Amino acid sequence: MNLCEQCGYHLKMSSSDRIELSIDPGTWEPMDEDMVSLDPIEFHSEEEPYKNRVDSYQRKTGLTEAVQTGIGQLDGINVAIAVMDFQFMGGSIGSVVGEKFTRLIEYATKEFLPLIIVCASGGARMQEGSLSLMQIAKISSALYDYQSNKKLFYVPILTSPTTGGVTASFGMLGDIIIAEPNAYIAFAGKRVIEQTLNKTVPDGSQAVEYLFQKGLFDLIVPRNPLKSVLSELFQLHTFFPLNQN
Amino acid sequence: MASVSQSPVTFSGSLSSATSASDLLRSSMNGVNGVPLKTLGKGHVGHGRKGLNIVAKVRKVKKHEYPWPQDPDPNVKGGVLSHLSPFKPLKEKPKPVTLEFEKPLMDLQKKIIDVQKMANETGLDFSDQIISLENKYQQALKDLYTHLTPIQRVNIARHPNRPTFLDHVFNITDKFVELHGDRAGYDDPAVVTGIGTIDGRRFMFMGHQKGRNTKENIQRNFGMPTPHGYRKALRMMYYADHHGFPIVTFIDTPGAFADLKSEELGQGEAIAHNLRTMFGLKVPIVSIVMGEGGSGGALAIGCANKLLMLENAVFYVASPEACAAILWKTAKASPKAAEKLKITANELCKLQIADGIIPEPLGGAHADPQWTSMQIKNAILDSMDELEKMGTEELLRHRMLKFRKIGGFQEGLPVDPEKKVNMKRKEEPRPGLISDKALQGEVNKLKEQILKAKETSSINMDQNGLIEKLQREINYEFSEAAKALGIEEKLSKMREEFAKAENEQLTPSQIKNLENLKNEFNENLATAPNYGRLKYKLSLLKEITEAKTFAENYKKALPLKAKVNEKFKEVLEKPTLKQNIENIKAEIEKSGVSNIEEFDQELKEKVLEVREQVESEFVNALESSGVHVTSKVDQTSMSMIKAKVDELNAEINQIIQDVIESTPDLKNKIEILKLEIVKDKNAPSKESKEKIESLQQQIKQGVADVMSFAAVKDKYEQLQAELAELAGVGSDGSLIKEPIYA
Repeated sequence: MNLCEQCGYHLKMSSSDRIELSIDPGTWEPMDEDMVSLDPIEFHSEEEPYKNRVDSYQRKTGLTEAVQTGIGQLDGINVAIAVMDFQFMGGSIGSVVGEKFTRLIEYATKEFLPLIIVCASGGARMQEGSLSLMQIAKISSALYDYQSNKKLFYVPILTSPTTGGVTASFGMLGDIIIAEPNAYIAFAGKRVIEQTLNKTVPDGSQAVEYLFQKGLFDLIVPRNPLKSVLSELFQLHTFFPLNQN
Repeated sequence: MASVSQSPVTFSGSLSSATSASDLLRSSMNGVNGVPLKTLGKGHVGHGRKGLNIVAKVRKVKKHEYPWPQDPDPNVKGGVLSHLSPFKPLKEKPKPVTLEFEKPLMDLQKKIIDVQKMANETGLDFSDQIISLENKYQQALKDLYTHLTPIQRVNIARHPNRPTFLDHVFNITDKFVELHGDRAGYDDPAVVTGIGTIDGRRFMFMGHQKGRNTKENIQRNFGMPTPHGYRKALRMMYYADHHGFPIVTFIDTPGAFADLKSEELGQGEAIAHNLRTMFGLKVPIVSIVMGEGGSGGALAIGCANKLLMLENAVFYVASPEACAAILWKTAKASPKAAEKLKITANELCKLQIADGIIPEPLGGAHADPQWTSMQIKNAILDSMDELEKMGTEELLRHRMLKFRKIGGFQEGLPVDPEKKVNMKRKEEPRPGLISDKALQGEVNKLKEQILKAKETSSINMDQNGLIEKLQREINYEFSEAAKALGIEEKLSKMREEFAKAENEQLTPSQIKNLENLKNEFNENLATAPNYGRLKYKLSLLKEITEAKTFAENYKKALPLKAKVNEKFKEVLEKPTLKQNIENIKAEIEKSGVSNIEEFDQELKEKVLEVREQVESEFVNALESSGVHVTSKVDQTSMSMIKAKVDELNAEINQIIQDVIESTPDLKNKIEILKLEIVKDKNAPSKESKEKIESLQQQIKQGVADVMSFAAVKDKYEQLQAELAELAGVGSDGSLIKEPIYA
């Protein structure tokens, strides 16, 4: 579970491990595994073209993109879940990530499933230009339909680090926002703030505990009881396990 | 004489000693700490003390700077509302600022001015020089401004003299009033919202406001909104939705304000909320990027039905400087970054992010603000005309689709498996977890597939997978049943014993034990709690296996069917046969009869003959190609037999009638039977029923006697013999049998 044994500090966790942790064994059905990015704006920086960069990250991490989406059962309740991975290009949002999210949300809307998104991202992918920015709007549009029209239940889990575009869109739009302890959550990164204000940012001013006091999230939940907490929340919102008669 | 020193208000004027009651009343009523003058007067007032000055001091009140003049004139342009806005034209004309790349133009301009000055001074005629210089200047201007590089456009978009949101709004609207505050703590100066009319049509305006000089810039925070600004915009959006104002937004911001206070107030959440809300507004929204559009801060008021951009406006996800610093480690590479990021209006139109470009005058919008504003006005009115024709549903859908289609990716092509090493793979589900409904659904789907495939003659589906799944489920159910019945222990003990058995020969006692166990299990199976589920799954399995065998047979049958059809066609094409068929056809047409039964005998026989010829040829062809025919579907003989049977039936009926007529006894009985039946219908009773039955018996007996009548009997036997000729015929004459292929 990637916790420090001595002090319980929550370390970063890869997406596959997190899926194993949250979803009952034998019930995971991935969606859209074969979507990869093209180079939509033909962004060639000198060191390496964008495509090669994506390729090298794919081989290095063994993932096709920065997010894995799919359907599974959590303590017997059917859920739609998406898990982002910070190791793939810093979890940055590109066209593929946006499309995968949107399709997952549309599927959950159609099948009336509750939605969980585990967020870990550095922001929008610069190499895809304004297309990445529009993905944020695309996801928000799907979420509007999901939340306001169908009134279903969506829980984002903010892990370390969650910055930029994610905080400015689906990360903060959940019905109940859960954050992990010791996570770094921000909209503008530390460096940008220091540049704007011309003074150093004190430590811990963008940590979960501090922002919790300012009223930004609902809960801080450590990793151990996370699955049970989620299951309880779903049951409170009338999503019941299947084999419960 | 009365010095009421504590009170802040004192009266000037001389007080006579005679203080009347009304004086006292007045003074104490004036809200002064009521020390009655009288008492004081009584105390220390001496006579003749005149010239006491009581001075009124007005409390110091803060002097607010209000934008309205002393006397608001309702007839000024923009009506009364324009007096409420503190945004007035600047007192000093802005200093002209030249950008880097405009330097050569400025030099040319200076030269022209020099030449003109010289002409004035010396009086010589330099007009043609002046004209040529002017032409060169115009040409250079046009060249420069039609071929701007992205970074040049960025610099123009950030030009200090570029017209701001309020400049444009006051140029294009008839009336405009600014609305303030987010009703939750602050009125952000960087975001301006308000309502107004253009050509009589009302709109809600909102946008980022930069300053026109340094002082204003600081006051407006350089156009970088805090969460308060976004919440103000959100409030206005709800307002517009509520009252039906179409929304026009103007985007001109380097980005959202990035400081600690904003983070704590929830900058991300404010933007997210705006994004989500904009997709639910039932009024048309048009966004115009008039300067720079900085990432999320710009998008928060930019999710529109139509996104228009001024010619030199830019819209980026990260500013070129930031991008260069991250990717190339130096901010000096920003021109390269600006070019690669595709941030100009042209490029964004190509990517279908922007829906249109509004032209700017040569030299940038700051060269001719009025003209630019008119262009913007026309663009707004055109877009709104188009959008107002749509209904609410269509409008929301249009907005959703505009963003839904943005993005470039590829899918469907198989991905190198080594790139997917770490992705969580799909696992086989554990048995017992799949709900009955899901299984039924899968079985039905498979059945539908088979049916559909029958029509389109193509079957390739996963029956085997489903069968395995079902079998696993059934095994699981069996073990559950065993557990429930308490036989599990015995089962496991037996298993151990068998495993120990060396030469795989079971001792008779073991076999007997096994038999007993089996019987016990089978008997008690019905009492197991999950018996119902088990039965259900078994039935599903049966259905699937049936479907599977059918599918397999069908698969085999398909190519053969094709072959047979082919051969038949070949046979028909044979010249001799074809000739005969043509002849027959001609004859049939001639006789004008369409139904085969009505042919006269001759024609019938001819048809039969041709038919037989065709059949024999066909059989030969099939046999030669390796298909073994075992029985024929003989249709004409079919119909002939049918005809014969009908004939016989008619004859028999006739004979029965005759017999009945001739035998008065039977006739009477039948009459009585008829009566009884009628009676029975009207008033059924046991008695009448019995009577009917006995009568029926008697009549049958009588008729059976008649059947021994010779003629009918002969005919009957003859028919039977004919029918028996054709193998496999049922006595009712129905025959359809698939030929059995070797």
